[in-house]
Amino acid sequence: MVLITERPVLDAAPEPVALPYRRLPPERVAATLTIVALLVVSIVSLVDVNISIPSMLDSWSNAVRFFDRVGVVSFPPLDELLYLTAFTVSLVLCGTLLAAVLSVPVAYISAANTTPGPLWRGVGRFVGVFTRAIPDVVLAMVFVLMFSLGSLPGILAIGIHSVGMISKMFADAIEQVDDGPRLAIRAAGGSKLQEFSSGVLPQVLPSWVATVLHRNDINLRGSVILGYVGVAGLGAEMAHAFKSLDYSLGLGIAIVVFALCVAMEIVSSAVRTSMLGTRPTGGRLGDRLVRLALANRQPPTTAPVGSGDAVENALRRPWTRERVRTVVWGWTAVAVIIGSVLICDISWGDFLTLWSYLPSIAASFWPPSFGNYDAAILVSAMLETIAIALAATVLTLIVSMVIGSLAARNIAPNGRVRGAMRLLLVCIRGVPEIILAIVLIVVTGLGTQAGTLALAFGGIGLLGKLIADSFEEVKPGPERALTAAGATRIQVYAGATVPQGMKALLGHSFYLLDTNIRAATILGIVGGGGVGYYLLNAGQGSKYDLVTSIVLLIFVTVLLVEGLAMWMRRVFR
Amino acid sequence: MTSTPLIRVDGVTKKFGTTTALRNVALSVEQGEVVVLLGLSGSGKSTLLRHLNGLELPTRGRVSVLGEEVSNLSGRRLRALRSRVGFVFQSFELVPSLTVLENVLTGALATIRGPRFGLWGYSTALKRTALGHLDRVGLAHLAYQRSDTLSGGQQQRVAIARALIQNPEILLADEPVASLDPESSDSIMALLREIAADAGLTVVCSLHQVDLALSWGDRIVGLRHGEVVLDTPTADLSKAEVMEIYGRVATSTRELEAIATELTVAEVLGDGETDVYEILADALDDTIVGAAPGNSADADYAPRNSPQWS
Repeated sequence: MVLITERPVLDAAPEPVALPYRRLPPERVAATLTIVALLVVSIVSLVDVNISIPSMLDSWSNAVRFFDRVGVVSFPPLDELLYLTAFTVSLVLCGTLLAAVLSVPVAYISAANTTPGPLWRGVGRFVGVFTRAIPDVVLAMVFVLMFSLGSLPGILAIGIHSVGMISKMFADAIEQVDDGPRLAIRAAGGSKLQEFSSGVLPQVLPSWVATVLHRNDINLRGSVILGYVGVAGLGAEMAHAFKSLDYSLGLGIAIVVFALCVAMEIVSSAVRTSMLGTRPTGGRLGDRLVRLALANRQPPTTAPVGSGDAVENALRRPWTRERVRTVVWGWTAVAVIIGSVLICDISWGDFLTLWSYLPSIAASFWPPSFGNYDAAILVSAMLETIAIALAATVLTLIVSMVIGSLAARNIAPNGRVRGAMRLLLVCIRGVPEIILAIVLIVVTGLGTQAGTLALAFGGIGLLGKLIADSFEEVKPGPERALTAAGATRIQVYAGATVPQGMKALLGHSFYLLDTNIRAATILGIVGGGGVGYYLLNAGQGSKYDLVTSIVLLIFVTVLLVEGLAMWMRRVFR
Repeated sequence: MTSTPLIRVDGVTKKFGTTTALRNVALSVEQGEVVVLLGLSGSGKSTLLRHLNGLELPTRGRVSVLGEEVSNLSGRRLRALRSRVGFVFQSFELVPSLTVLENVLTGALATIRGPRFGLWGYSTALKRTALGHLDRVGLAHLAYQRSDTLSGGQQQRVAIARALIQNPEILLADEPVASLDPESSDSIMALLREIAADAGLTVVCSLHQVDLALSWGDRIVGLRHGEVVLDTPTADLSKAEVMEIYGRVATSTRELEAIATELTVAEVLGDGETDVYEILADALDDTIVGAAPGNSADADYAPRNSPQWS
């Protein structure tokens, strides 16, 4: 045996190889430059907002003094509190449900594979973008004018605003279905409507329900702000408490809303998982009911094959676990919906009386005008809103990269870290931004700083989760290859995980910017700086032509961001 | 042919953009015939089948089915025609999240108005009929299972029951066993044949396996590059003619070589006295002449294959 004493070293290439010139498509260059520019502007805005550690410490001592002054947090009387809670939840449920129903036809005409024609598709998409771009607060302002005070303005505002997001997600789901079953129904002579109801709907139903539940969470959080423009419920009580400087009551209601949001998040995620999963194994309420129902009702054994009355036997559907579960969930849902409608006590008569004063209301909104303000003031307020959104987005991005990465299974050093980070993200997601903003404003005073911090904090819950999920979804091959080549954890992260997740990261960031711009306009209403302040003033001062101009301003901005995001998605596909 | 054929295709050409899927196709099928459309993938079998129930409309030519001009139909009348023609797909095309029974019931949608959501939307009488058809294909005991929990062969049985509930006069089957394992393939093909015989159905079925087509159909229509290259009854086919069929449906010399190798093995292991090579050489010659006219210097293909076994 020959001992090899020295390993032969692979020589470098004998001749230096000229690096090939890498030609990038110009559109890609432009998109990259745009991203860089956005980043620069965001960082400049962040500096402008002037979030500094000393000032935060300063506001911390403010907070301590403030809470000393507030004393004990107080709540409304229990029966009133319970009624308000039930009312708010019912209102949000009815609104979301209305949106879900309205979204079906919109999604049908917007989806490429079901639309009757390109013109219809254009109409559907316009409705989607339009309803998404108009904040629900503005809609609520309008509806409060049109209807008597009650649940209806809130339901309609939530219902119409949510059509944008829900119909888009519905349409995406429709476009992803397998077309085969539809074709089979067409081949059997089914009509278009039947193709949709029997071939498409069953395939998209789980994703639709998930979308609606997700939107319901968002709407519950957003319902607080509707109180500021006169929609009844917990939000209105809170707004009233803060306006009358009853901080202890205001904070008490804020705590209730927070708890409610967390509870709703837990319920909806439980429903989602139990719908996606096949078997009820958990100890959740619904599953317990199912087991209870099954305990005294054993499913009959299947009918013997080939026997004469196999058909007659098969006509009676056996009470399998699955069926019991479906029935229990179904009736629970129906009961919840009926209960919500009853609690909301909708004054249907308003739909009849509405038409008489509709023209005068329409006239007060049109034509748009800038009122007593200079156009420049409103534009600069809008720019301030955009700056808040950008600063908040970049702040969120930095923090979420750390938390989100550590919450990903393939990056976290161990399960405990991952679990802790996931829990942290859930907790952050539970905090409604508005509540956070209100508390921050109460503590640190009016201004952009509070708005930015509130948005940035709330965004971490969303972006962190999205980042963690996308990083967990990357292909494990490259990571293993780098690990096998002796790379350290951080090298694997930088060399394999992040590059693969980059596209998703970009998409998520733009999504966040999009939601942040909408949210930033609303934050102004509670005093978080930007154009929202003017919006609220105009609404309360009955200067509806001014409301129209501000809404148009917001509309244009949202459309611009949406267009930018679409362009980015196309270029970096 | 004295009686009016049930299906009549006249000079049909179909273009998708620049590619031509069907080229001047003519076909007529009589009541009760079991016809196999034979050809490799891309030969136009599926496209031709889809013309027969109006899922595709011809660019040129006429398709008449059950006495109706398909191109002239639309809306309710087209759906009425489709309800008289059952269609079985290669990949079953069941709605995965629905129960087996509801999938079968979707075949009857043409007979009822409006959409149906869930099993309670259908009448008990219709459910009884559906269960009867499920029993016929041997799956009544699985009626309330989600269709995506079934095996491929079972799913195709459900799809057949879905076609049967239409009470069709014609059954079209597009590669019904291409996604199945050999065992389920055999039982599905046998089931189709049985059902066709029981109900006196006219069947047009596309396949790509020559041996299956030969044993199963009454008549074979071969397609290559969208053209009908063969139309023959299967009874009393001689071996030479079988070889010819292989030659006709193949689209490249490599495919033909593969078939030749397979056949040679069969022949040699069998009686080993047929003059296979000569026939194959002819067939090869045909293909190559067909593919590249004017160049027929390919007679040396067969010898290259032969030494291994001779």
